[in-house]
Amino acid sequence: MRHALLGSHLTAALLAAATPAFAAPSPSDPLGSVMWEALREQYFADAPVVFDNAVKVTAPASAEDTRAVPLSVDATALGQVVEMLAIADLNPFPLILRYHPGTAAPYIATRIKIQQATAVRGAARTADGVWHVSGVLVDAAGGGCSAPPVSYAQKDWADHVGKVQARLWPADSDGVARLRLRIRHPNDTGLVDGIPAFFVETLTVQAQTPGGPAELARIDSLEPVSENPVYSLDVRPPPDAKALVLRGRDNQGGEIDAIIPMPPPGARPAMTLRPTDPMRSVGQ
Amino acid sequence: MKRLVTSLALAASLTAFSATGVLAADAPSSGPSNEDLLKSATNTEAVLTYGMGPQAQRFSPLTDLNADTVKKLVPVWSFSFGGEKQRGQEAQPIIYDGTIYVTGSYSRLYAVDARTGQKKWEYNHRLPDGIMPCCDVVNRGAAIYKDKIYFATLDARLVALNRETGKVVWNKKLQDYKEGYSNTAAPMIVDGKIITGNSGGEFGVIGMVEARDAETGELVWQRPTIEGNMGTLNGKESTVTGKTNASWPGDMYKTGGGATWLGGTYDPETKSLFFGTGNPAPWNSHLRPGDNLYTSSTLAINPDNGEIKWHYQTTPHDGWDFDGVNEFVSFDLKKDGKVIKAGGKADRNGFFYVIDRNTGKLINATPFVTKITWAKGIDIETGRPIYVDENRPGAPTEGSGDAKGKSVFAAPAFLGAKNWMPMAYNPQTDLFYVPANEWGMDIWNEPITYKKGAAYLGAGFTIKPLYDDYIGALRAVDPKTGKIVWEYKNPAPLWGGVLTTAGNLVFTGTPEGFLKAFDAKSGQEVWKFQTGSGVVGSPVTWKMDGEQYVAVVSGWGGAVPLWGGDVAKLVKDINQGGSLWVFKLPKA
Repeated sequence: MRHALLGSHLTAALLAAATPAFAAPSPSDPLGSVMWEALREQYFADAPVVFDNAVKVTAPASAEDTRAVPLSVDATALGQVVEMLAIADLNPFPLILRYHPGTAAPYIATRIKIQQATAVRGAARTADGVWHVSGVLVDAAGGGCSAPPVSYAQKDWADHVGKVQARLWPADSDGVARLRLRIRHPNDTGLVDGIPAFFVETLTVQAQTPGGPAELARIDSLEPVSENPVYSLDVRPPPDAKALVLRGRDNQGGEIDAIIPMPPPGARPAMTLRPTDPMRSVGQ
Repeated sequence: MKRLVTSLALAASLTAFSATGVLAADAPSSGPSNEDLLKSATNTEAVLTYGMGPQAQRFSPLTDLNADTVKKLVPVWSFSFGGEKQRGQEAQPIIYDGTIYVTGSYSRLYAVDARTGQKKWEYNHRLPDGIMPCCDVVNRGAAIYKDKIYFATLDARLVALNRETGKVVWNKKLQDYKEGYSNTAAPMIVDGKIITGNSGGEFGVIGMVEARDAETGELVWQRPTIEGNMGTLNGKESTVTGKTNASWPGDMYKTGGGATWLGGTYDPETKSLFFGTGNPAPWNSHLRPGDNLYTSSTLAINPDNGEIKWHYQTTPHDGWDFDGVNEFVSFDLKKDGKVIKAGGKADRNGFFYVIDRNTGKLINATPFVTKITWAKGIDIETGRPIYVDENRPGAPTEGSGDAKGKSVFAAPAFLGAKNWMPMAYNPQTDLFYVPANEWGMDIWNEPITYKKGAAYLGAGFTIKPLYDDYIGALRAVDPKTGKIVWEYKNPAPLWGGVLTTAGNLVFTGTPEGFLKAFDAKSGQEVWKFQTGSGVVGSPVTWKMDGEQYVAVVSGWGGAVPLWGGDVAKLVKDINQGGSLWVFKLPKA
């Protein structure tokens, strides 16, 4: 049965690939972004896409600082999620990050650069291959991606690249623990005159267990993530985990390596940061 | 087009069961092996090593281009390095499998389609603010091995990239740029190890030769060039270089200089690496009585473990910044019916040395510039210079009143009778082609103490041309006799590398912007092309699709405009640039 199902999926997908004219029509964008069709083709190809309020995207209606706009994508309402994307439609580099939640809950929060007023989207791919997309409009003054980072005002910025601040809170009753990461890095887009692209590219969170390291979650981060990137994840550390390990690299081969201790006994779980009623997230 | 790409990607991922699509799509060639690199001097389809062969003869066996056909040599395309980061372009391109890999100023690396000039990828190294390159923000080239391309950066790091994608594989710190270290030379690959020197001779650093595993970047051995300093092998201390305090007073060997800033050459026949070492620090020689080994020398090093096989010091107790880094080019000396495994070195101090490359024993040393004031000659028996003592700049304490020592006029100038720019050897004409400069300097000593990261000179100087009509001179030197067979005089100082071919040609660039070709036997100029900015890079040639190509980078800069004194005035109107030019001889 399983084989037959896989076979029929394959056939359908291959047919769609060979004859794009018969691909499912793209649902029209509830946010009315001019870039939607192009982005859909680029990031979702011929995979099925639905606009779905179950994915909750939170960002301010108006960006106070276009170099650091808080953004969260929460797909926990979908159950198990294989991969998540964050996209800012009108950025010179629309894709912000890809998140592979692994065993973690499908939730990620970060800060991003915004070049101009734009739709900001979150997308979550469920095991059946369907992308569930939602988003909000963020109004902004221009220039977040092409302004030099603040850290270059300091002569010694290069001494601190790759240093990590992290905190892990105790797990709640579902075994989910909030992990917050902050990495010192200029995260240059390459769009500022004379400053080459220089940004964090990959981050992997592992658990140190008696049976060896176990991967919990992985982020493929890109240019639009803010200087000194911050990420909040909801990981599920195995009960026998002794510590978490963060390993990463930037696009110039610079290495990121940090050990994150388990929370001390008696510490309280993090207060949930997820809004219960994200009115502004538009999925349909 | 975009739709096609995405559809293909999907198809490939879905047909992973059959696997054919995936493998065919991205099966990269395995790349040059150790064997390929050792034989690169005779491979006319590629340029795999800095120096066009490990011995760095810069000789191509190609004959399509010759003194007659060269007039038909025409530009095919030009590629701009882009941006505002123009400055000096001193690179030699690497050519492999239809791709040119070339480095630019400010630690940039480009992969360009050799047929079309279209960029494949670019790597732009993010440099910290505090880098301290002494003599312009140049880079001299990359190294290729298997699936990777390597280059060193101005913040003294070594970066390995996938040569197909330009993605960084690893990035290792060579030295601490804050102490004055930087790196501008092309790395070298020998037996799977990547071998590098270091820059920073003006800041009191210790010269070093290091070998790393080319796959992982992990350190294999280190050899300091200054006696008294400890080497390492496989993570453990190995042996001390030389004998502590044999030729250095007190603790001065700990900041002794001897930077290996030009990189090295390799001779597969004697299995020796040859590294030239820079000037001792500080410049004021009165502070460091003794020979100051192994500064201003050539070292023969075992590539397996970093042990020194022999040394030859060209300027013992250097007091003029006659930094002896100049490349040591292995060649077969045909003399008196015998063939001697020798090496040639045109030293910054003005003498052309021919040395037995098995033993380090001097065979001959002759001037290749018209005026040398610091020595009357080189004693062939002892291998030591016959000093003109009164031409050594005086000690600061000997000065009356102010602290400045007696100033002398010395030639060559500290920028050298020949600086970094590599010469070429043609085994068919049996001649070396040496890019020389005719200049002198006023030089005096000043008091100095060492401070980490600060220039450690203890000397003042100003450069003066010797002649009104020329400074640069491309000279054909006969290594058997030391005789100058022909010369080409150039108004501005020569600062680019030389290429010679079996087609009886010699190529080199000029600050005036020309790439020029000369008849290798007569020295007659037979071709030139204006590239739009000064040429201070090293030309190469190869054959592709049945046609012979020549490539060179254009972009004025280097040490002359920064340190050139009176000479800098002569070159101040040369416009900057940054581009790669490719020429070919079209099929008849």
